[in-house]
Amino acid sequence: MLAVSDRPGACDAARARFPDREPALRFEDVVHRYGSHLALDGLGLEVARGETLALLGPNGAGKSTTISLLLGLLRPSSGTVEVLGTTPRRAVAEGRVGAMLQTGAGSGLPPGVRVEAALRLVQRLYRRPAPFDLTVQRAGIGGLLSRPTHQLSGGQAQRVRFAVAIAGDPELVFLDEPTAAMDVEGKRVFWRMIRQFGEEGRTIVFATHHLQEADQFADRVAVINRGRVVADGPGATLKAAIAARRVRFVCDHADRRDFDSLQGVTDVEVHGTGVSMESLDADATVTDLVRRKIPFRDLEVVPAGMEEAFVALIAEDTPPRHAIGAP
Amino acid sequence: MSGLLAFTRFEVGRLVRSWKFLVITIGFPVVFYMLFVGNHRPGKIVDGAVAWRSYLLVTMCSFGSLVAALSAGGARLSSERAAGWSRQLRVTPLPGWSYLVTKVVATMLVVLPELLLVEVVGVAFGGVHLSVADWFGLTALLWVAALPFAVLGIFIGWTVHAETAFPVVVGLMFVLGYFGGLFSPVESMPKALQVVAHLLPSFHGAALGISLLDGRGFGFSHWLVLGAYGIALSLVLLIRHRIEETRGIS
Repeated sequence: MLAVSDRPGACDAARARFPDREPALRFEDVVHRYGSHLALDGLGLEVARGETLALLGPNGAGKSTTISLLLGLLRPSSGTVEVLGTTPRRAVAEGRVGAMLQTGAGSGLPPGVRVEAALRLVQRLYRRPAPFDLTVQRAGIGGLLSRPTHQLSGGQAQRVRFAVAIAGDPELVFLDEPTAAMDVEGKRVFWRMIRQFGEEGRTIVFATHHLQEADQFADRVAVINRGRVVADGPGATLKAAIAARRVRFVCDHADRRDFDSLQGVTDVEVHGTGVSMESLDADATVTDLVRRKIPFRDLEVVPAGMEEAFVALIAEDTPPRHAIGAP
Repeated sequence: MSGLLAFTRFEVGRLVRSWKFLVITIGFPVVFYMLFVGNHRPGKIVDGAVAWRSYLLVTMCSFGSLVAALSAGGARLSSERAAGWSRQLRVTPLPGWSYLVTKVVATMLVVLPELLLVEVVGVAFGGVHLSVADWFGLTALLWVAALPFAVLGIFIGWTVHAETAFPVVVGLMFVLGYFGGLFSPVESMPKALQVVAHLLPSFHGAALGISLLDGRGFGFSHWLVLGAYGIALSLVLLIRHRIEETRGIS
């Protein structure tokens, strides 16, 4: 687990805004097995009401299982999953949860009907739905209502599925890779709509594998890997953590005090002639090391404290900043 | 409750608005009645005590309900699953059991007008004459007898891949229709095929109607076979559905 999880996150901020309410979503030590395969291995997660959380993780990390559990499609092998103070199934049955699932090649909509008919049906399945026109406006699908569902482009179908997810005026909305089939402009518009919806005090959880998207649109990011939350915090904190590097070298006359004041350094360990430092800016640290004429050899700069898979996942989004081993 | 009603209405609406569904379900039994009725003298007594025109009316009603029931589920359901719609419904307040139940109910609701349509054709083109009580009784019997086919159609749609579901359904229609004796009297079939016919639910569905018309009575053995098919298919469908439900979203 990354250190960022111990820092006050947006969760606490949201809790401060709604102090006397139970969290919108709570996973406590959740284990899920498919036969002998361990999909979730003690997952813990809490989302406050009104918060927007991004679930970030590579394929096979346990995201799909987490989603299935929070929507009541699966039951955990052990541990507790609580949604809006009750069981996921009940929260869904009471119409307090809306979801936009991934559909692969499919549209996620019933074939052979017009968009309006499908959306009106979904609206009628809820006890206290949002007014039809409001849902249409929120999802920006006014121009699509008379279209047959099989004649929508990928991006259009996604907007209609968003409308389906919010038609019941849910307190918690779950979106699984909501902008997967959209172009840049489409994404921008879509996120503005989601954001507006979230500003009305609703809890939004979305899954993604782009750190950019997670950082830009979520109050908080939870990184899932191998069935556990490996990092949890505001996007900015996560990004800083990603930049963190461990700088190691050998120094024959190591004096701890020399290293503490180096630029970017947050932690120093000295074992005999071996020095190991954690730095938020390895470039600056090494430059400072040279400038102060501290003699060093066998210099190494490596990612600090994060699980490899997490680093690999993030690396897709962030260009590498450090050449390993450069003096 | 209003959600269930809305869903049922939506399902029936989708069926009757699909030209593909209408062409197949109206076309086949109506055209077949007109084609086959001339195969024998319409007044010829077949299968013991019933005139050919009435016999064919019963078997074409059975065939019509078979065609309607299988196509209502079948490829339509299969492609809707492929689109991800059935899974989307699972995350709405619609109760889990109601999806399949509504499908069966919607199927049965389109089978009924199908039966009435074939009866009208029988009267218009075959000159069939029945008492009011017989019309009611016949329609009710054949309607109930369509239940196993409704379940079968949904099972196919729930199990078979979208692209193969259509040929499977059409194949089953003709296998159950031909070997079930719906196109020509069973007594005129070779002995071996007669044995096959007695194993098929399509034969027993039509036989219920024919027993009513020739006054042979209740047809206990036919009910037994149809009931067994209905229960067995429902169980298989439920098991299939349970497996699907334990798979989550992926």
